[in-house]
Amino acid sequence: MEGIKTGFKNFDELTNGLDYRKVYALFGDKESGKEQFIYKLVQSALSAKNAIVYVLTSKSYSELITEFNSRGININPYLGADFRILDDFSRTNSPSATDNSYAKILNGPLDLTGLSVSLSSANSDFVKDAKPVINIFDNLSNLLIYNNPVTVYRFLQFVVGKAKLAGITTIFSIDVAMHPPEVIETIKNISDAVIDLKLQEGKRYFKLSGTSKEVLQFKEIE
Amino acid sequence: MIEYKGLDGITDKDFDPYFGIAKLDEQLKGIPSKKVVLISASPSVGNEVFGYQIIHKNITSGVKVLVFLNRTSPQSYLTEMKEYDFPANENLFIIDAYSGITGIKSDETDHIRVIGNPYDKEEVRTKVLKELGNGYGLLVIDSFSLLADFFDFSFATSFMNDIKKEVVSKDSAAVLLFTDWGYEKQNVDKLLSNVNSTIEVKGIEKRVIFGQYFAVLKCDWIEENPAFSSVLFKAMKPGGIKVYFPKILVTGPTDAGKSSFIHSASKNAVSVDKLGGTIALDHGTVDFQGYRADLFGTPGQERFDPLLKMLGGEAIGVFLVVDSTKPEQFPRAVEMLRKTETYGLPVVVIANKSDLDGALKKEEIREKLHLDSAIILIQTVAEDLSKVDPNEPTKLKEAGINEALSALFKQLT
Repeated sequence: MEGIKTGFKNFDELTNGLDYRKVYALFGDKESGKEQFIYKLVQSALSAKNAIVYVLTSKSYSELITEFNSRGININPYLGADFRILDDFSRTNSPSATDNSYAKILNGPLDLTGLSVSLSSANSDFVKDAKPVINIFDNLSNLLIYNNPVTVYRFLQFVVGKAKLAGITTIFSIDVAMHPPEVIETIKNISDAVIDLKLQEGKRYFKLSGTSKEVLQFKEIE
Repeated sequence: MIEYKGLDGITDKDFDPYFGIAKLDEQLKGIPSKKVVLISASPSVGNEVFGYQIIHKNITSGVKVLVFLNRTSPQSYLTEMKEYDFPANENLFIIDAYSGITGIKSDETDHIRVIGNPYDKEEVRTKVLKELGNGYGLLVIDSFSLLADFFDFSFATSFMNDIKKEVVSKDSAAVLLFTDWGYEKQNVDKLLSNVNSTIEVKGIEKRVIFGQYFAVLKCDWIEENPAFSSVLFKAMKPGGIKVYFPKILVTGPTDAGKSSFIHSASKNAVSVDKLGGTIALDHGTVDFQGYRADLFGTPGQERFDPLLKMLGGEAIGVFLVVDSTKPEQFPRAVEMLRKTETYGLPVVVIANKSDLDGALKKEEIREKLHLDSAIILIQTVAEDLSKVDPNEPTKLKEAGINEALSALFKQLT
């Protein structure tokens, strides 16, 4: 089965894209290009008729949509139908923020139950429509900052287990520099595959491990 | 004080505090003082709406409620409650153990107490126990599992013991909301052994969630200790927790009033019909006294009989609608029960048009239908025949509709 194309030509050629049903950890420092990677992946996956549940922990859903538009990605036709946002950020600054047809406003990073319930519900809706589904966590670092890491591990094990059962692909974005090595190691263990990104001398590089077509040396991403 | 009325519309004594949730109040008779209830939910279903509903029912019944909040901010919690149509009032008090974690400044008000350092377990313990001395009828902790995550199970267990002692000495009660993330069994068992009642909330799921249910696993204040079965529910926004019956069949002969019954009982009924007679299916959703049910109506004409078995499949109860003025159709009514393969399910007979000339009396209908004495028969009448729109099902009077719904729902719970 053909993988999910990320929209990065050499990444897709070398790796055959992302495997469906797998759990990917997307590691990188602040400027490594994680957001760029995710945004392009979203564009590519939506145009290939995948459905996406986007868990947002560090900005509001309106900021996310602005980011897509500023990068020339027209997300609007997909909103609600194939692209849903679980906004775990807005209520922290704006307690009276309410849901709309494509964004569900969650209670904040400590309410992992609320996040889990909303994720299950959004996934169920897409799976019932027979759509291949991708869950993207942008990002996990904020959940790890506010919660006891063990609590987040339990949460991840639960959502990953359910996603696999439902045939859903999962991607966690993590800012590596923000967490101690044991946290990163545990996230690796929960994941099937790891994508590492880095910025070096003005260029961005990736490597991929844990899939059938690994790229174990950093390659420029383009 | 407002009594919880349930399906009977009456109760022999006040329950105080209440759950405010159909079935739970009927079976457990509310939450007696000095008792601690744990509502344990699967992470894919959640239990926060149980908390909102319990709080709202009590504050609107004059019970002073204290909510310990570590899952979200008080403002966000109140917004969420309001979205379920559970607005706060002067009887609701909150201990905010959340804002200190996020670093967002939270000011104390008459109704919000703030824990300055939510990472300090002794401050958490002391502040909650001290506040309980201010005459609360109910304490709600949302969330107790987050306390165990934040500190550890040893703290959670000892804190629960402290809460229990306090609610006993202050004649209060407590509801603890708990998400079971797959903790070690011995830790969970130890917690559960300390509470008076445990209610489990779970999803029916394979690849996707098909439904959700709650079940009373334990309750030490019900002497008879009935076997509690699990109860399907829906969490409606607005509306909260509704006990849910996924399929109730409405059947009976042609023109008896099946569509009228469904349209009168439901908020959003649809018919597939032609010139007034239903030729395929009626469907409506009923929202009544904390219960929610999907009604499916069959056509009455014999040419559609091949459909009846399919339409009756998986129904859990039946309304059999007959025209009180047409006893000649009664054998057909019984035949339809047989053809829908619902004979033997809980049934309520609706004797419609009971005010028209020539209508048979209740006992005559029972006799002609050969009804067992245990089967309930309810008479219904149209609201106002002068206002009948030939293109719409006739509206039936509410009293008969409510009586019928109550009679069947009681059999189903």
